[in-house]
Amino acid sequence: MSEGTSNYWRKILALDEPVPSDFPKQFQTWHRFFRPWFYKIVSIPLKFYCPEKVLGLENLPSHPPYIIAANHGSAMDFVTVAYALGKRKDELYPLTTKLFYDRPQSLFWIKIAANAIRIDTEEDFLPALKIAIKILKAGKAVYINPEGLRTLDGSLLPFRPGVGILAAETGVPLVPVYLHNTWKVLPTDALLPRPYPVLVIFGKPLEMAPYQEKLKTHPAYEVYKEVTEELRNRILELQRLAAYWQGKDKAASLS
Amino acid sequence: MTEDLEREIKSLVARVIKVPEEKIDPQANLFRDLGVDSLLGIEIFAALDKKYGITVPEDKLRGINTLNDIIALVKELKNS
Repeated sequence: MSEGTSNYWRKILALDEPVPSDFPKQFQTWHRFFRPWFYKIVSIPLKFYCPEKVLGLENLPSHPPYIIAANHGSAMDFVTVAYALGKRKDELYPLTTKLFYDRPQSLFWIKIAANAIRIDTEEDFLPALKIAIKILKAGKAVYINPEGLRTLDGSLLPFRPGVGILAAETGVPLVPVYLHNTWKVLPTDALLPRPYPVLVIFGKPLEMAPYQEKLKTHPAYEVYKEVTEELRNRILELQRLAAYWQGKDKAASLS
Repeated sequence: MTEDLEREIKSLVARVIKVPEEKIDPQANLFRDLGVDSLLGIEIFAALDKKYGITVPEDKLRGINTLNDIIALVKELKNS
């Protein structure tokens, strides 16, 4: 049987290849100048218009590399998480397909403010995983929306197993994050944000050591799926916690 | 010998994709007709790597769609 098939995955993902010392070579100079200003401006709506509350930030590993996996509600998801991280936002890198990265209007937002890294593909997931692995090996953190698509009604969509491959093969902690209400603030058809309170919950990281042990004796694909499923379950738990928290907040404001 | 190899590969593919052997038509498109996703596709090659010690290079992955394609590739790599 195909037990312990991880070796081939490691070869195909170039996991053991060295990472160039200057990677990731992003817009560092522009970052330093523009990013603080961008987040100062963003902080105004996130304080007053759609006020952001953050829970569980102490669950974030004390230093990168780690992976943040959040549900996908809107185009503001990454900003919401980055803003919650405060000064540590600079260690976090989202990945963006060339479709979005190459649009002229994306210049400021995606390249400079969001720190995004371009994926040279639309359909093939291997290049995206290889870049994410390089980011992690360079000692940075990766931001992922495992659903791939934005939700239209707040429900959690099925997760794609790429996040499971990334976490299980690199062994870095996988932090589940639930973003509450971002789909209401900036739905896919909205031009302007709407005034809903936003809640960001950081869950306890999934440690990869047991899964890495399992990779030695089980088909890799099954282990990746298991990691992905466990991550989804953890985010569902955070979703329930958010619903409870929202109810508590409403009750407090009525009393 | 060749038939044995073909049978072995078919059985291995069936186990990986969890489809009974008799339901795999060697000409059928694994992705379109048997619901194999791209990750499971790579897992087939990972299982072949484990069993035969053959590493299918990334650029060859995209052209493989049927069981017959896999068999031809394994033969080619085993002979090279």
